[in-house]
Parts: sequence; structure tokens; C-alpha cells
Amino acid sequence: MPFHLLFRNLTGHWLRSLLTILSVAVAVFLICVLHAVVTGLSRTVETASSNRLLVQSAVSLYVDLPLAYQQKLASVPGVEAICKWQWFGGRYEQDKGGFFAQFGIDPDTFAKSYPEITVTEGSYEEFQKTRTACIVGADLASKYGWKIGQTVPILGTIYQRTDGQPWQFLVAGIYESSTPTIDQQTLYFQFEYLRESLETGGAQGPDGIGVYMLKVAEGHDPVEVQRASDALFENGPQRVQTTTEAEFNRQFVTMLGDVPTLMQMVGSAVLFAIFFAVLNTMIMAGRERTKDIGILKALGFTDATTALLLIGESLLLCALGAALGAGLGVALEPAFQATVSAMMPGFGFDKDTLLLGTGLALAIGLVSGVVPGIRAARLTTVAALKEIG
Amino acid sequence: MTDSRIDIRRLTKTYQRGGETVHVLDELDLGMEGGTFYALMGPSGSGKTTLLNMLGGLDVPDSGDVLVGDENLSQLSGNELAQWRSQNVGFVFQGFNLLPVLTARENVELPLLLTPLSKKERRAQAERALALVGLTDRMDHKPRELSGGQEQRVAIARAIATDPALILADEPTGDLDRTTANSILELLQRLNRELKKTILMVTHDPEAAGYADKVIHLDKGKLGRIEDNRKPAGAR
Repeated sequence: MPFHLLFRNLTGHWLRSLLTILSVAVAVFLICVLHAVVTGLSRTVETASSNRLLVQSAVSLYVDLPLAYQQKLASVPGVEAICKWQWFGGRYEQDKGGFFAQFGIDPDTFAKSYPEITVTEGSYEEFQKTRTACIVGADLASKYGWKIGQTVPILGTIYQRTDGQPWQFLVAGIYESSTPTIDQQTLYFQFEYLRESLETGGAQGPDGIGVYMLKVAEGHDPVEVQRASDALFENGPQRVQTTTEAEFNRQFVTMLGDVPTLMQMVGSAVLFAIFFAVLNTMIMAGRERTKDIGILKALGFTDATTALLLIGESLLLCALGAALGAGLGVALEPAFQATVSAMMPGFGFDKDTLLLGTGLALAIGLVSGVVPGIRAARLTTVAALKEIG
Repeated sequence: MTDSRIDIRRLTKTYQRGGETVHVLDELDLGMEGGTFYALMGPSGSGKTTLLNMLGGLDVPDSGDVLVGDENLSQLSGNELAQWRSQNVGFVFQGFNLLPVLTARENVELPLLLTPLSKKERRAQAERALALVGLTDRMDHKPRELSGGQEQRVAIARAIATDPALILADEPTGDLDRTTANSILELLQRLNRELKKTILMVTHDPEAAGYADKVIHLDKGKLGRIEDNRKPAGAR
């Protein structure tokens, strides 16, 4: 097998080869990103806790529930703790174009309900004690260079301070999360700080709670707690929908539509586009080499060898493109994670994702090489040499 | 191949052209001695190239036998023919037919890839063949960097690289000027006389045919006269 011929043929049309390699690289990179999105979403759902339930308005997540519901929910048998979650929707003054989530929560029950969160810098006790304190995810702190004891100014969009000034949150702790369900890009502050500000007229905005988190006591069936919670408000004043954390995450994700199906469709389109591009390149290469095929056969190379040369060239093109695309994915992974981890904490280019991208590229290379390869094998020496006069 | 004598027996080849059957070779019988330089002449369509292709195992007859040495080519499969070609025949084409992406040395090394020689041995053998055709200083040049005559010399070096007994040349001087053509013909003549290669050269050019020991004339797929240039009157 004249392997050097395989490489020379590639470099002989270096621009075409380079463009094909880059096309495959971009396609592999895109497929890896799309696959990482799908797996990231499913990981967020799969790793959700089974003993946490979330209560939201039956109408929509955008409709708040009355504060008084907490007391009623506490009476449901099996509820060990309740933690309020209120979306704040503010913007960091120093980076108005940037986005990260802020939630008002109950520090005492939050710590009990989310053992996956560990404060690695600062003190959770300080967070509990200080009304204006907050804890921030390690990635978020790293992104903005926040330190313990620093005050973070957040401009309210839903909740605006009446003095027109930004809210000031004191960084009391930096947390890390051991589960993809909870990202490291969120700022949690005391809900009481928000409530007091609203009650005293220091701020204005809707009252109520977006979501109540119920921690189910050990030995109790979450399904029963779910039913009881829903039944409690069946006759109003505002009906609720209680779901498992997994279901809540799934619903949250599907608010954007059927993301996995959409990703698969886009991925398939990318695959087909690149398949046709590589196939076109290889068919052109095969036709251009009709003369070379005739020469090789005249010299004594078999039909199989001439076919394998084209298949090998196609595989090499796609393998180089796949390596470049996968390498690009690995290199850009931190940047991607920093961008999407708030929405998708489980996002990442794992081994399966990279293998999928590379495997698909090689499959494309194989099929694209087989088409001109079969032609080369079938071509008689005389016909191949005649074609060039 | 211990003996490069060629025997052609009742060789027939037909093509369909526009619904008409064309007898390119019509029950041709021909014997050729080993170690002889033959020129094959005849008008266009007389079957010269078809016969050359049959002798090189590039094409198969409809009927009849082609015996080169001990081997009956008509009975070999495609892969067997490929293997036989790699060991016994060297081809020289009108258009040189060098691979443009390879250097002169790599082009000559190409048929040696099908031999059990090591990389070092292949390189040495290719360099010997190129030295024999007078291209020691052009080994690392690609075909586009060579003149037509030099390209044809590389093609001849490639044809003799595996030391085949039979060299088949299809209009080897067709694309060359007179002076260059003569130098190529002299080279072929030298290969025949010094290395005892059997050469069969298709040509339209009577001057080129003059370099051969014998000239075979074909007409409409049948054997015409055979001239012997070695006779005193036609000897060179």
C-alpha cells in the first residue's frame, strides 16, 4: 500500500484538503456542542434529588404564590423543611450585559435541604446572621473576582429600590456544588432582606413567592406529599402544582421547547451537510485521479489497493477534521461552561460526546471514501488510461 | 518469467461501437522471440494498442490465448494478472503517465512497493534505474519540473525498476520532438541490447520503427508483413 501517495494526494490539493478538514472540524465541534447540550440537560434532570419537591402556581411559573402558603404547606405530613425560592432578576452594575441568576432563599432550610452545596470560602453562619449577606457560586466569584467581605451592587429590574440605588449584597461565602443540578454561577441572598425592604417601603415589586421547595422527611413517600400538597389548594385561592425536582427541571428546560429533538434535528442537518461536502470532495478527487488509478493498476496494484487509497484519503481527511474539531471543543469547554452553566450546570464535553463527534466524522469519511473507492476498483486499467487520451 | 517468448494464438477481440461489432483483433496468430526489440505498426484502428494491452495483461481477449513465457494470460484472474504485471512487465506510455504528486525517484519506486525489497533497497534500486536513464541529478524533481524527454526517461526507469523481461511501449515518442525522440529510442535500443529486454513498441513513426529489430505490421486486426531490420539492407 503506497501510504506516502495517500499523504501526497492530500497535500497535492492542499487548499481543498484544508477547507474540507476545516469543514469537518466545524461540524464535529457543532455536533459535540449539540450533544453536550442534550446530555447536559438530561444530566441536570437525572441527578435531581428525589426527596425535594417544588411547589409552583398551577397557572405558570411566572405567577407568584402567596406567602401565607408556607404555613399551610408545613402542615402537610412528611414535609421536613420548606425553603422559599424567589427569582430576583437583577443586573450586576459592573457588567450590565452579563447574566447570572439571583434568588432570595431561606438560609436555614436551604442549608438543610441542599447538602450538595458546600461553602468553601467565608462562612455560611455569617450568611445566616447578616440580613444583607449572600453566598455566591465559585465560578461566579472567579468570573468577577469577588472576595469575601466585598459588597456586590445589583440593580433591581423586578424589585427596584425606592431610593434609586442598587441593592448591596455582602459576600459572606463562596460555595461549590457537587451536583450538576445546582450550578456555581448563582447568587443566593436572604429572602427576608427582600421582604423587609418591600414591607418598609425601601423597595417596590411584586410580593409572593415563585417556588416553595419542600424537603420530604425520610420514610415518607414523596408522591403522597405531592398529592397532599396539591390537594391542599385544590379549591383555591390559587391552585398549585407540586412536582419532583427532576420534573421541575425538565419543565424548566422544556419551556424553551423540545430542546433535545431540536438539537438532534440541527445535528442531523449538520451531519448531512458535511457528509455531502466530504462526498463531493472525494468524488472530485476520485475523478481527478482516474489517470493515477490506471497507472497504479498498470503497474500491478490491485483493484482493492486503488479503492483503499481513496477510502484512506477520505478517512484521513475526516480524522484530521475530527481531531481539530474535538480539540477545539476541549479547548473552548471552560468558556462554554462559564456561559451556559447557569442554565445547564451539567454541560461539558465528556468522553462520550467527543467519541460521538469523532465516530460520526470517521463514519462520514468511510462512506465518502467508499463511493469513489468502488468506482476506482471497478474501473478497468484500459478505461482509466483511455479517459486521459 | 524464465523465458520471454510470446505466443499469440487465434486472439480475438471485438468492441461494440454504435450498434456495430468491430473486430479489433481477428483470430490473430503471432510468435515473438524473447530478447528482441519489436515495433508494431499499422493504421489507426488496426488493433496495435489492443494487442499491446493484451500482452501486458491490461485487457482480456474474447477468445484465443496469450502466452508470455510459461504463463497463459487468458487463464489468469484480475488479481493474478496484476501480480503478473508487477513482476514481468514494464510499461512506457505516450503521455508518460507519471504521478504528478511524487518525485522522479518516488515514481520509479512505485512498482518496487509490490516487491519484498526493504525501503533502503527500493531507494537504491530506483536510483540505479534513474542513473541508467541518465537522470541522477533530477531524482528529487516532480514531473512538472522536468522536460518531456526527462519525463519519458523517468517512465522508462520506472518500467525497468523491477527488472522485467518485457517492456511494452505505446507510442513512447509520440509527444516528443525529433531529437528527444531519438534519444529515447536509443535508450530503448540500449535496454534491449545490453539488458536483453524484450521490447514491443507501438508506433506510427517509420523512423522510430527503424530502431527495432523487427517491425510487425497489423491491418484490421490481422497480421500483415513482418520486416527484419537486422538483415544487412535494413540494419542500423
